[in-house]
Amino acid sequence: MLNAKIKKEFRTNGRITFSLDASFVLRQGIGVLFGPSGSGKTTILRSIAGIAVPDEGRIELGEHVYFDSEKGINLPIQRRRIGFVFQDYLLFPHLTAAQNVAYGIGSATPKGRRDRALELLDLLGIAYASDRRPQQLSGGEQQRVALAHALGSDPVILLLDEPLSALDAATRLRLMGEIVDLQRKSKIPFLYVTHSPADAVRVGDSALILSAGRIVQEGKPTEVFNAPRDSVVARAVGSENILAGKVQDHNEREGISMIDLGGCELVTPYNALPKAAPVTIGIRSDDIIVSRQRIGQTSARNLLEGRIMHVVQDGPEVDLLTACGVNLKVRVTAGAFEALDLKPGAKVFLLIKASSCHLLS
Amino acid sequence: MIWPAFKLSLLVVSFATVLISVMGTGLGFVLAKRQFRAKELCDALLTLPMVLPPTVTGYYLILLLGRHGLLGRYLYALTGWTLAFTWEAAVVAASVMALPIMVKSARAALESVDARYEMVSFSLGKGELETFFRVTLPLAFRGLMAGIVLSFARALGEFGATLMLAGNIPGKTQTMPLAIFEAFMSGEDRQAQSLALILTFTSIVTIYFTNILTRPSKSA
Repeated sequence: MLNAKIKKEFRTNGRITFSLDASFVLRQGIGVLFGPSGSGKTTILRSIAGIAVPDEGRIELGEHVYFDSEKGINLPIQRRRIGFVFQDYLLFPHLTAAQNVAYGIGSATPKGRRDRALELLDLLGIAYASDRRPQQLSGGEQQRVALAHALGSDPVILLLDEPLSALDAATRLRLMGEIVDLQRKSKIPFLYVTHSPADAVRVGDSALILSAGRIVQEGKPTEVFNAPRDSVVARAVGSENILAGKVQDHNEREGISMIDLGGCELVTPYNALPKAAPVTIGIRSDDIIVSRQRIGQTSARNLLEGRIMHVVQDGPEVDLLTACGVNLKVRVTAGAFEALDLKPGAKVFLLIKASSCHLLS
Repeated sequence: MIWPAFKLSLLVVSFATVLISVMGTGLGFVLAKRQFRAKELCDALLTLPMVLPPTVTGYYLILLLGRHGLLGRYLYALTGWTLAFTWEAAVVAASVMALPIMVKSARAALESVDARYEMVSFSLGKGELETFFRVTLPLAFRGLMAGIVLSFARALGEFGATLMLAGNIPGKTQTMPLAIFEAFMSGEDRQAQSLALILTFTSIVTIYFTNILTRPSKSA
């Protein structure tokens, strides 16, 4: 369990330009640290790793105290037993994949190190590349080796700094699944920094939304993303609904696929994924039409019934947070908001075209 | 005249190159990876021999290391030995003159190593020393080698400071550049020519290898 309380101020010419003040607890699983760039994600990660020193606060992992400003404790990075995975992999270019992984392994004999390295590479499905140099590997392969590399020293926590943002969509999707698997097998907590809502919803067991150095909301990723508490969170997470589901059925003739979102079913454009495959669907909040009455036949393939839970007003636009089996954000104009009398508790019908449901992963 | 000068040059330059490689890499590391207030001042002082006339550097070296010099007098009092006009003096002069090139090259080579590689090594539980030898050094290797080759060439061609501190004693402190000068002055053109050819050839080989070493390659 990671317990962190970090305060740090950044100054330019004596003026405070950015202040970070964040407290959070990460229990088991994958915690996603989400926020726009400049929100303080990297400073948090660097503070936990021991690269940046907070002005004030306390960071502890289980019984290890990494940092405590009151007691003057600041454990050097070498003794924190942290695995770090970067966006650009940072494998040592002068070593092979196996040598990279073996580098951090504490075993006494070279043979012991190599065996353990091959075991880790095998775990990531990349043992075939053990004798290649990083520059002979694709981005996805490098990131697999980097994961094994970071696990080599038997860390107590893995920090991932936008690990997939340099990869193509198909590779991202595959690696997200592998990162989740890896966490379940390794049983150490992962702190996953990203600015991609799709990544957050797919890999996260919990999510922390960071905005301007403060944690503005935390909870389950799908809830946090689709039911922002206020306009600050709404702005931080963007205007898209991010929904995690499973492929239920296909109708190739009509060019559609049915996705089970848990609380409801969604008709989306056809995808070739196998049934029960996990998917993430994105629907922009201003692509959803709201009606107070049930409308008969329309071309929109999805008609969802639900209620307004609460309303976030942000300038001339209003975000309605609705519960329709799943949480959905709907953005309407202030005029429509008043004309339709869209108060919390009101019953609404949502119309969504199949083509507005984008397959994110 | 050619043979003793050649042998002496080889001896002097070998010692100087080893000294320069170790010191230059160390100083380059401090300048590249450590933050301290007088950093650029230190860099400027270390670079000074590159811009000063070599005779001036030689003059300062006499003030510092001569029999009555700032440090030299203690050395003389303690051991009865003085550096001036010995082959070791030629090593010191060549080292001081060529060190700036090595420091500059080493600083650039070590700065070009992404500090995050070192951080990754630390996070894997490795100490500073192990990280330096297993990560930083291999990653900066080509740049360091290029610096070593260039400072080797600079040490080989050293004239002014050597003349000041070590003198021009045939068979004792007369290195090749000094021998060329003497041969030419005494009208022995053929000897001057042979020595000049040897040094020209060495220089061409040096530049060739430096270019190969500094050329970006796909591996490493």
